[in-house]
Amino acid sequence: MAQNRSGGTGGSRSSIDSKLERMADALEEGEALLEILHDDEVFERELEEIFAKSWVYIGHESEIPEEGDYRQRSIGKDPFIFVRDENGEVQVLWDSCRHRGTKLCRAEKGNTTHFRCPYHGWTYRNTGELVGVPQKGNGFPDLDMEEKGLHGAPNVESYNGLVFASLDPDAPDLETYLGPSAWYLDLYFKLADMEVIGDPHRWEIDTDWKTPSENFYGDNYHVPMGHKSAIDVGIGSATAKGEKESELYAISDVGGHAFSIYQIPGEDFFWGHPPEVTETFHPERLTDEQYQIARQSGVSLGTIFPNLSFIYLGGSDDPEKDTVGTFCLRQWQPIEPGKMEAWNWIMAPKDAPQEYKDRVYEVGVGTFSLSGNFEVDDIGIWDGIPEAADSVFAEQVNATTVFSMGRGEDTLAEVDDSWPGPGTVYREGGMTDENQLEFYRKWHQTISEAH
Amino acid sequence: MWDIDARSVRESCEKFLYTEAQLLDDRDLLEWHETIITDDIEYRIPIRTTKERSAETEFSDESFHMIEDWGSLKVRVERMENDFAWSEDPPSRNRRFVSNVRVTDENPENAEVSIRSNLLIHRLRASDTDPDLLSAERRDTLRRVDGSWQLTERTVLLDHTVIGTPSLSIIL
Ligand code: FES
Ligand SMILES: [Fe+2]
Repeated sequence: MAQNRSGGTGGSRSSIDSKLERMADALEEGEALLEILHDDEVFERELEEIFAKSWVYIGHESEIPEEGDYRQRSIGKDPFIFVRDENGEVQVLWDSCRHRGTKLCRAEKGNTTHFRCPYHGWTYRNTGELVGVPQKGNGFPDLDMEEKGLHGAPNVESYNGLVFASLDPDAPDLETYLGPSAWYLDLYFKLADMEVIGDPHRWEIDTDWKTPSENFYGDNYHVPMGHKSAIDVGIGSATAKGEKESELYAISDVGGHAFSIYQIPGEDFFWGHPPEVTETFHPERLTDEQYQIARQSGVSLGTIFPNLSFIYLGGSDDPEKDTVGTFCLRQWQPIEPGKMEAWNWIMAPKDAPQEYKDRVYEVGVGTFSLSGNFEVDDIGIWDGIPEAADSVFAEQVNATTVFSMGRGEDTLAEVDDSWPGPGTVYREGGMTDENQLEFYRKWHQTISEAH
Repeated sequence: MWDIDARSVRESCEKFLYTEAQLLDDRDLLEWHETIITDDIEYRIPIRTTKERSAETEFSDESFHMIEDWGSLKVRVERMENDFAWSEDPPSRNRRFVSNVRVTDENPENAEVSIRSNLLIHRLRASDTDPDLLSAERRDTLRRVDGSWQLTERTVLLDHTVIGTPSLSIIL
């Protein structure tokens, strides 16, 4: 698409710098710029400044339990191999042969001690080390094998089984990046050892990756309208159906990430897990404050910037069947402007009975997946955004999206100073957009930083 | 032995699949649920991943795009009929092409046959000109109930690893 980069007016598209300036102005007003949800230059800049600089989720260690297990993954659009090497260490290797650049890994998953390039046969150990070059003595006597191992992501770290990588050699460590968010992630990944069941759902959606990332930051306002059909058929959480009294807390100011947690006062709810599951938990790994929050938790959701989201809910795929606690981990992968690929991993507490884990899986599929009774309606709505965002008129009217809910006199949401965890925490969290603003502020700051 | 109004078992199964496709294409979902499936149906769409040729199968035995029984299918069908089911309002236009029907096993003792067929779904929304296509083999078990076939088991083996349609708010 030909674009006018001069930043002019009168119907031609403005430059990214002008967009970022207008975005900054919009944020001041509690709004965001619609144009950024479908824009070539913004998309390119996101790949360079956000996906290649942030800590990006790669996969869960339970997906590669054995030495040699590997999975194809990506950081932004760049191909990587997520592999457990022969020493049991997790590696994140760039999938490109050092000889002429072709991809080595043609299967999405498998187990191997070596990756052998099909082109000329250069062979790498699953540590990334180059160990075989056909005709080396005759052809490349001076080739330094040590120099030509596969490039690995400069930073790879695991947090309770969740493996992240950063392509930025100067990235802060993962703990710093997650910051106070770890206090909340502990509720989901430390109280119980979680494991991924099977393979992820993968599907393409005609919407920008930022839309669902922001939604999972805390758009609880859309639930009664957007998900009415699923709630009507009786498969929603006890809180969504109004069976349990609850309070929704919106949590932001935790390192640029955000969470929402329903609390059911005084109950041992644990996201709908029954006692035979909660007795396999490890309360000793949490502080008392964390444990109290976990205990009373109904639906919980959140996003770790940029594109890792989750939803934890007690629900069912059939009102005739028992509720189980199901956990869906999400990654919203950028594909092109206005288009993404969703990855969905369903997770269960590792030590829960197998039958229960099977139900967790089924309920995950029936609620939040490509076919999920909740999910399908989100997508049916989100795919209307990019077309409008790409409008010439969007710039003419400086079209914004509104995130000012909760501001002003007498709004319902209020900061709760008695909340025991970190961050700025709002009661009546469904009545504020502060979480979603946090996403766009973090986005704006990250994408602007190097410029 | 099968009490069928057709020249062969294969042909009668084919007729059944055509009737089913018609109901689904026409979005007569409640009728599909009432007349096409048995109440002990097992319905699944396993996730496929690209694997090396030496792998035994590309299909997962523990992860699925749908894994359903009669009750969970009823929930889906009822939800799709709801006035607030945004993913199908306006509805996607789906046309199912069913072909290559072959009988792989006949088991008169329990009145069941196993069949395989190919399925191509041509899916359009709104003003789209590029359809979403879904291509699969279906492995079905049909049971003779009161002189008609009913679907008692279905496994949909998709050709896709990444699904090129935004939501599976239809029955395959
Ligand atoms: S490109 Fe890999 S060996 Fe030549
Ligand atoms: Fe939603």
